[in-house]
Amino acid sequence: MNQSQPDSPLTDETVRHVANLARLALSDQEIDTAKTDLTSIFRHIDKLNSINTDGVEPLDHPTELMNHTRDDVAGDTLSQEQVLVNAPSVKDVYFDVPKVLGDSE
Amino acid sequence: MKTISSTIADATLNSIEETQRQLQDDTLNAFHEIWHDSIEKKSLDLQPDSPLQGATVAIKDNIATIQGTTTCGSKMLDGYRSPFDATVIQRLEDAGAILVGKTNCDEFAMGSSTEHCAWGPVRNPWDSTRVPGGSSGGSAAAVAARMCQASLGSDTGGSVRQPAAFCGIVGYKPTYGAVSRYGLVAFASSLDQIGIFSQTVEDTARITQVIAGFDELDSTSNPDAFPNVVEPLHTPIEKLRIGVPSQYLGEQNDEEVNEAVTAAIQTYKELGATIVDIELPLTDVGVSTYYVLAPAECSSNLARYDGIRYGHRTSSPCKDLFELYSRSRAEGFGDEVKRRIMLGTYVLSSGYYDAYYNNALKIRRLICEEYKSAFSECDVILGPTTPTVAFKIGEKIDPISMYINDVYTAPTNIAGTCGISIPCGFSEKHGCKLPIGLHLQASWHNDSQLLRVAQMFESATSFHKEIPECCS
Repeated sequence: MNQSQPDSPLTDETVRHVANLARLALSDQEIDTAKTDLTSIFRHIDKLNSINTDGVEPLDHPTELMNHTRDDVAGDTLSQEQVLVNAPSVKDVYFDVPKVLGDSE
Repeated sequence: MKTISSTIADATLNSIEETQRQLQDDTLNAFHEIWHDSIEKKSLDLQPDSPLQGATVAIKDNIATIQGTTTCGSKMLDGYRSPFDATVIQRLEDAGAILVGKTNCDEFAMGSSTEHCAWGPVRNPWDSTRVPGGSSGGSAAAVAARMCQASLGSDTGGSVRQPAAFCGIVGYKPTYGAVSRYGLVAFASSLDQIGIFSQTVEDTARITQVIAGFDELDSTSNPDAFPNVVEPLHTPIEKLRIGVPSQYLGEQNDEEVNEAVTAAIQTYKELGATIVDIELPLTDVGVSTYYVLAPAECSSNLARYDGIRYGHRTSSPCKDLFELYSRSRAEGFGDEVKRRIMLGTYVLSSGYYDAYYNNALKIRRLICEEYKSAFSECDVILGPTTPTVAFKIGEKIDPISMYINDVYTAPTNIAGTCGISIPCGFSEKHGCKLPIGLHLQASWHNDSQLLRVAQMFESATSFHKEIPECCS
């Protein structure tokens, strides 16, 4: 992908690439709107560059606690019927999907 | 409507007729679903000695309930029926609450106005041409319009406190990890926290006492016992030190907001508090930090909506799985959700990760340190909840003007501390009364202290007793 600096203008190509990564089939109109919106949002966000973060460790979670895990004991789980009940398409006891390997890639 | 606390004090129960009357007419579009049948059934089977004694509680539509649907205000989850209850739902029901239905919200809790809801915008009970705030706008409007005694919302950057301010009620975001997120549909997992709306601080404390505390089903739940917040609530704090950051009062706020907050400072002085001038210089970049971190986490969390296991699936023929994902997601998500997924995907993508996401995580640490330093000088931080009162529906079209509404609330989530908005006045210049919220923040796990400080103000004032004309 385009390795340009964050402050360079967004191109249609970059926005399409991001939509592709995000698995969003956007129309040309939506790509255009996204480009305008993201440009204005980045103009705002770019003020973060004015903060000196040299030597600061990133903090990805506020508690800094380690995840705690449950005892490895079997408990109640959802039934197969419960798991499938919200699926848009089911065949027998399986999720139904189109063929995984398409012609496009 | 009686408060939960007065119902308990009188040893009475809510009458089913009254509850049904209050829920009859939802002209504000506060609810996606009202559960009339189960309200009637539960009202007949109340346990008089249960902690909540039939308190009527509405639930934001992004909290999973076996009863009804859980749609997150999105076409993506239209008709979705959760196979399990969130932990907070089980705890409310065990404590004798009557759950009255699911409230409308901005899609997947992304928004500050509840205009971005697939089921239509929610209206503010003080002026139906204005927004109730968001994203938990339906939960706030329902309590403000006295359709129920309390409600649950979720607060990722202010989504409980901001609508509470706009609707003139109490809205509280507990410390991160205090209330289980199990069953809260994930938006930004390191920022999300379930919060409470009610008419009074005491009602908020009572609901909190029921839902807070360790839950093994949430791996970020705090294993330490949650303190008793109800019992000490009415004991004022002696030698209270209130920090007022210079960044919180200024030209960026409505004049009437500054006046109401200044008057609140005077009230606390009269109650014996010492006011400490403090500095939170990173306030200015809080929103920008938030709008890197929250979309990044959102783009990852919302990857699960693929049209396979649940949620919307496109009816167009697709040549492969990739196209099925992309079309289903493009059709199922609304504009604001797509915008944030795009933003989040971009800041996490190769070549931009360090410049945006990682840099925002470093600033997150600096914001935490700034709070730590502030809380060494004071017990609570005071300011306005929002720079303005409720704005008109359709007024804020540009995303940035919507986002800067979170300027005072988003840093609380970035740091994971606790905050509460309580009514502190009204703006009168718009042809109707519009509520103003006072924002109090306390340090990590100091929730009991935060609620006590809020109670001190409420006991000395009567703003919380005012109700919108539509409900009087």
